Amino acid sequence: MSTRHFFLLCFLIVSHVLTAQKGTLRGSVSDRESGETLIGAFVTVEGTTTGTVTDLDGNFSLDLPAATYTINVSYVSYAPTIIENVIIKSGDVTVLEQVLLSQKGADLKEIVISAEAIRTSELSLMNMKKNADALLDGISSAQFKKVGDATAVEAAKRVTGVSVEDGKYVYVRGLGDRYTKTTLNQTEIPGLDPDRNSLQMDIFPTNLIDNIVVAKNFTADQPADFTGGLLNVETKSFPEKKIFNVGISTSYNPDMHFNSNFLTYDGGKTDFLGFDDGTRALPAGANQREIPTPIGSATEQEVRDFVTSFNPQLGAKKATSLADYSASVSFGNQLDLGKDNTQSRKLGYLFSASYKNEYRYYDDVEYGEYQRKIDSTNYEMTYATTQQGQMGERNVHIGLLGGLAYKTQFNKYRLNAMHLQNGESRAAQFRIDNNGEAVGQSGYLASSDNLEYNQRSLTNVLLSGSHVVQEKKWDVDWRISGTRSSNSDPDIRRTAFTLETSDTLFSAGAGGNPARIWRSLEEFNAHARLDLTKTYAFREQEGKLKFGASQVLKQRNYEILFFDIQFFGSQDWPNPSPNEVLKPENIFPSENNNIYYQSGNNTPNPNAYSSNVSNTAGYISNDLRLNKRWRTIVGVRAENYVQRHTGRDQRWASGDTINGNNLDNEKVLDALDFFPSLNVIYSANERQNIRGSYTKTIARPSFKELSYAQILDPITNRIFNGSLFTYGNWDGNLVETRIDNLDLRWESFGEEGQMFSVSAFYKQFEKPIEMVRIPEQQTSTEFQPRNVGDGQLVGLELEARKNLSFISPALNKLLFNVNVTMVQSQIEMTDLEFNSRKQYEKVGQTVEKTREMAGQSPYVINAGFTYTNDSLGVDAGLFYNVKGPTLYIVGAGLFPDIYFESFHSLNFSVSKKFGEENRSAIDFRISNLLNDAWEYNYQSFEATPQTFSRMSPGRAFSIGFSHKF
Amino acid sequence: MKHLKFFAMWFFGASVVLTSCKKDDDTDDTVIPPVETPGTVVVTSNITANTTWEAGTIYQLAGRITVTAGATLTIEPGTIVKGEAGTGANATALLVARGGKLNANGTATSPIIFTSVADEIDYADMAAGNFASPNLESTVNGLWGGVIVLGKAPISASNDVGDVSEVQIEGIPTSDPNGLYGGNDAADNSGTIRYISIRHGGANIGSGNEINGLTLGGVGNGTTIENVEVVGNQDDGIEWFGGSVNVTNAVVFNCGDDGIDTDQAWSGSLSNVVVIGAIGHSFELDGPEGSASAGHTISNGSIKASFDGRVCVDLINVDNNSIVALSNLFFTDIDGTQDINNVTAAGVTFENIQFNVPADSLQNHVNGAIPAGVTAGTTPQATISSLGWTWTAQSGAMSGL
Repeated sequence: MSTRHFFLLCFLIVSHVLTAQKGTLRGSVSDRESGETLIGAFVTVEGTTTGTVTDLDGNFSLDLPAATYTINVSYVSYAPTIIENVIIKSGDVTVLEQVLLSQKGADLKEIVISAEAIRTSELSLMNMKKNADALLDGISSAQFKKVGDATAVEAAKRVTGVSVEDGKYVYVRGLGDRYTKTTLNQTEIPGLDPDRNSLQMDIFPTNLIDNIVVAKNFTADQPADFTGGLLNVETKSFPEKKIFNVGISTSYNPDMHFNSNFLTYDGGKTDFLGFDDGTRALPAGANQREIPTPIGSATEQEVRDFVTSFNPQLGAKKATSLADYSASVSFGNQLDLGKDNTQSRKLGYLFSASYKNEYRYYDDVEYGEYQRKIDSTNYEMTYATTQQGQMGERNVHIGLLGGLAYKTQFNKYRLNAMHLQNGESRAAQFRIDNNGEAVGQSGYLASSDNLEYNQRSLTNVLLSGSHVVQEKKWDVDWRISGTRSSNSDPDIRRTAFTLETSDTLFSAGAGGNPARIWRSLEEFNAHARLDLTKTYAFREQEGKLKFGASQVLKQRNYEILFFDIQFFGSQDWPNPSPNEVLKPENIFPSENNNIYYQSGNNTPNPNAYSSNVSNTAGYISNDLRLNKRWRTIVGVRAENYVQRHTGRDQRWASGDTINGNNLDNEKVLDALDFFPSLNVIYSANERQNIRGSYTKTIARPSFKELSYAQILDPITNRIFNGSLFTYGNWDGNLVETRIDNLDLRWESFGEEGQMFSVSAFYKQFEKPIEMVRIPEQQTSTEFQPRNVGDGQLVGLELEARKNLSFISPALNKLLFNVNVTMVQSQIEMTDLEFNSRKQYEKVGQTVEKTREMAGQSPYVINAGFTYTNDSLGVDAGLFYNVKGPTLYIVGAGLFPDIYFESFHSLNFSVSKKFGEENRSAIDFRISNLLNDAWEYNYQSFEATPQTFSRMSPGRAFSIGFSHKF
Repeated sequence: MKHLKFFAMWFFGASVVLTSCKKDDDTDDTVIPPVETPGTVVVTSNITANTTWEAGTIYQLAGRITVTAGATLTIEPGTIVKGEAGTGANATALLVARGGKLNANGTATSPIIFTSVADEIDYADMAAGNFASPNLESTVNGLWGGVIVLGKAPISASNDVGDVSEVQIEGIPTSDPNGLYGGNDAADNSGTIRYISIRHGGANIGSGNEINGLTLGGVGNGTTIENVEVVGNQDDGIEWFGGSVNVTNAVVFNCGDDGIDTDQAWSGSLSNVVVIGAIGHSFELDGPEGSASAGHTISNGSIKASFDGRVCVDLINVDNNSIVALSNLFFTDIDGTQDINNVTAAGVTFENIQFNVPADSLQNHVNGAIPAGVTAGTTPQATISSLGWTWTAQSGAMSGL
């Protein structure tokens, strides 16, 4: 935007505010049956010639002197709708959110309604769901405002079949990580996790989001690489009226806040803004081929200077935690830029910001590693290592969004920029108990201090346009978006003193030497898509031919660097405390301890890679109404997917270029696939649909899976091996998983957002990918992604939204809402897995050749009561979510399976609007009423479950205040 | 159409951005050859054909150097081998894979030294008979990896595929198949190892995964191992993972973890052994892990349970399923409550085990009823006269044994 345009914009904003004499009427018009917006519908003031026509979004805007009007909305072949009692106030905007027109019929000439009846909030989403070509479920901003959800992840778990893991990851229909995809404004965005495909949704604050919609079956215009669900987050764009909202809130958790045992460590000056100021940066020279050590040619002073260039803080410290607090502000408006050749021109703008600071303290964190016994009559598991301790976290979230939209009657342009920032500082103290009796373990006790900082950010710019060529019945929609995301863990510090009977010291063979790790992930995504729709008539029914193209480019860079503290000679710790370790008297050269660093990083680094992907797609799809009842959507999508990798294995990195493996931007995947989709919708009547569909989708290996990467994860201590290595009977040839999907749904829509639906689905997985523990490796935990035997699942889904007035009219403000997903999955074990399970078969147990799919939950239940009383301005809700026990990591043999246990989440919220025109609101929430804990357990036949990890989030009470200016 | 033009422009722009996003690494992927100093040969690649390392040259290990199947590495008496610095995947080591052979035939007057590049020991020291490091204390450890010998003799291992006859040795990632050991050839021959001294090693190769001074995985009894010394290793001194090899005349001095460590049903014998100043257990003797079951014998040993402030945890640590016959062992410099952790394991026998403690405090050093074979006594059991060539002996640490 040039400076001149910028000043013009400022002038317009100011002049608009200053000169507002009249009031404005805005709204949208759509077809009652199909829910589609009607372009070019007439909106007139009854009895006058004052009026306007709707634009490409079906929206209209009309400036009128303050008064009460009757408005007439009409469109060719539709029955005119007369809206009475429309009040226009001076300087204010009156919004008729959705005016629905019905086709003219013998018994339908004209509809008369009052303005109040048009005020709907969830209806539009419900309409979208009813008329969509795919199976859709979703939640709108109106809903999550009501419930008080603060982040996208909280809001998403109200959607049918959606469940949330670790407070971050959203899964659909209980399907595993590989099978859910997230898009932002219908364009691809990078994930933030090096190990998962799902996007970490906790980073999105709800005040930036307009709606979240989950598509559960594939249509040709969508990417084909999802199977459970495609979750689209739509950010806010074009406010209907001037908004200026501010909100503040605070949350108190009695177990965590104002607790003097809270653990923390000194960070940088910008920690409160969610990023590190360089305090945790890698010291200069640490990334060189050779770092100064007493072993090499460096002088004593060089070694000493290098050691002192690292932050000397290794221990957690106690402090008192504060309560959580957050604030948000949104500011936006829609301006009429006047008429140009009878076309109205509008400019919308929106700025939104949010800030949140959270404190978490877990005083009973537990991690464990357990083994099974080979003796077939010994059922109980034995521990290898347990860790118990306390952990403190401080979490800062910042969200910024700016959007501009320009609209004429038939053209719309949108420019959106967003930045999300999150910094999480964590300090923990653990007591470690290693059991010498366990296989491969030497037995020791240790006490460890862990300091971590995780910094995430996501910056997205979207430019999009929509155009309607009305006379030719063409719709054109294009979007281009660029995103940079990063996730880094600068300076993870782990310091574990080994506790021996007569001494406390660092023992490499027991608790280990102190270690520091820098991990970083950066990804760039660019996505462009063009969608064209031609509407035509077929035997007096409407048909739509849709086709388009899409290009996605991705580039990911990943690196881990680690450094061990070493002692040149013997150790002596008269006062063993982590913060004593890097005192000057212990640093080389010195009397005692003689600390120096050893580098764990080869040059080039095998713990690093960069990968890129190009996905070029085109599709064609035809949406045809055969008659009033039958509708078919038939389409096919082609995707040409090329993945390239740069990385190497340890052998190559350590100089063995003959036996080692190295990829230099080499193609690891190049495939052209066609994905058919067939959807049939039978509308039994205006309120009922029966849908059936068959689609083919895909799940592709991730960046690091198609590689020679050997990545030691510093958090879990597991070693990841790329699939290209040939180990034992694995041939190194990892292929995509292709999935056939069948869906059937009956849905019935009632008044005021009531509905009932039953769905059944069946999915057949060809060569699913799972992480397999490498059997040849005993002493360290190594995994490799491999294709395992074919899998299948069958599921049933039920959703009901019912007003309880059918029990008693007194309950007419109470809405009951439940959705249940039940899934039975089955996978064929490989011989390797089956034989290893058979080897450890217990007396009374029969090991089958099949098991459930990893990551697949047997059920997901979301239920709630909402109470809405508009006259009192009160909204209240009680919500319950649970996900059935899910196989998290596939064990076998010595290592038992790990399950994610059900977390019973029960939350209560109430809000009350008050003040002039109900502009202020206060809300109160209690989360985790049942005080449940997050638990992952080892399970084995007839054995007591044992802890893999356990944390207790406690109960939290929040109170918030918001005001609309 | 003007949008199309914009579209094209954006695409071009995006591809430029993506190209420029590529990491301009300060280090590219080509491997720079290390600088060679006179008299030093830097070894960077595996030994795949018969090779001889000659005395007079210092061989510098630049990575994990493997003697692969079919190849024999001969090291002349009196040769010095030094490992470069590194930890994790970066650690240096000499690995003899299954089917490979190491012929390291040192002598008492010309032993073969494996040490770190930080060690200034040179051929003048060797010629003068000074086998101690001129500049490093015997407690300095973790400077490089160690020596790993793998063979095809039976092991008793279990893992997540149940009972297996071959597994990956600890510290070597699965991607290196040279790390596999175990088989069914009890008489397997991995060569001859005589008069070797391994110092300052034990680098961390992954969490809890250090390299022992001398690792013997599935080594068969066709192999000769006599007169070996491990000084200042960060992990265990000598560790056996199954196999059937017999070892005589072994010294472990100032190790960061266990002195002698046995696993996976090693079926050979260890005789004439000295352990001084281990930080973990002096003896850490585990049982079979799989269904294959076999035991080993350890005889004629003298052990200093504490030395110069270094105090071991247990004198002898066994598991309930351990199978080992212990005889003629003398433990001295016993501190506090160091003990035998378990005397009820059915497969463990004690014969003439002497603790140099007053008879009335013997019970403090046995966890359970004192077995008949464990007594208070003062007679050293190792023949230290045949260990005089070691740095340990030269340092005077064996006095009193």
